[in-house]
Amino acid sequence: MIRIAAVGDVHIDRDVLGRFRPALEELPGQADVLLLAGDLTRHGTEAEAKCVATEFGGLGVPVIAVLGNHDHHCDEVPGVLAALTDAGITVLEGDSTVVDIDGVRLGVAGVKGFGGGFAGRCASEFGEPEMKAFVRATGVVAERLGRALRDLDCDVRVALTHYAPVPDTLAGEPLEIYPFLGSYLLGQAIDSAPTALAVHGHAHHGSERGRTPGGVRVRNVAHPVIKQAYSVFNLAPEHVSPPAPTGI
Amino acid sequence: MNDYTEAEVQRALAEDLGVAEQGITVVRSDAGLVLCGEVESPHRRDEIVRLVHERFPAVAFAVDIGVTRAGAPTEAEELA
Repeated sequence: MIRIAAVGDVHIDRDVLGRFRPALEELPGQADVLLLAGDLTRHGTEAEAKCVATEFGGLGVPVIAVLGNHDHHCDEVPGVLAALTDAGITVLEGDSTVVDIDGVRLGVAGVKGFGGGFAGRCASEFGEPEMKAFVRATGVVAERLGRALRDLDCDVRVALTHYAPVPDTLAGEPLEIYPFLGSYLLGQAIDSAPTALAVHGHAHHGSERGRTPGGVRVRNVAHPVIKQAYSVFNLAPEHVSPPAPTGI
Repeated sequence: MNDYTEAEVQRALAEDLGVAEQGITVVRSDAGLVLCGEVESPHRRDEIVRLVHERFPAVAFAVDIGVTRAGAPTEAEELA
């Protein structure tokens, strides 16, 4: 069994330092890996990212993250990334990482993602340059997520995004803002590979559980949704292919 | 109080760097605005109150904003 802890939208700054730490000290007994689903900082400064590094660094389990829209706000992404990676946090954007958990290879592919909406009510790459650029941006990151998932050489695949890949986990948010909360293109990318679980954040008023059209389980782990330091998902053996026999 | 004020308050909560909150719902009621949602610290709730008082002194508002709990989970979800 693989035990995956996840939380998003922690929006760390100095005033939050230490709030998560007591729970995080218990994490290695509960989970094998921690996923951070974006919006790690309040508005994307390097100083805030250093607070994230202090809060989520040195946990004793691998920490894998994607950035969120807040992490981009102050245009300090290189500094944010440096602060996180210096603390040993792996940050994904269109790529993947593999973690060995007792001989089982957990592959995590991640992107921030972007908006655009969902089937039947989505934006199209048509009209003004600004609209085309908006929709194209989502298409590009979704394509990168799909490729990263399909290219993974592992026993179990997990997709990590900030924006939502399905509307199910947005229930509770105003319908009018769904196009700014996620895109069906992310769900399509997740369904293009045998993905065991998709985790996202961003939708503070959304709900926890959903599924892609292809049947992949989706969990919204935005902190205000889960109302705890992190959630833990135990992936049972059926999601975990046995290690391939080595050649004789 | 009208639609425009409601929109200005909503945008101010997101765009003011001292607040930067996109997760606060602004609801109009008979008694004025009600601000609902959750933030990561009591300090952030205080900053929201300060901002709305300063920028919209004529607007009556109530605050129903909680601080998100950050305890360890008591159980895992089994994905069988």
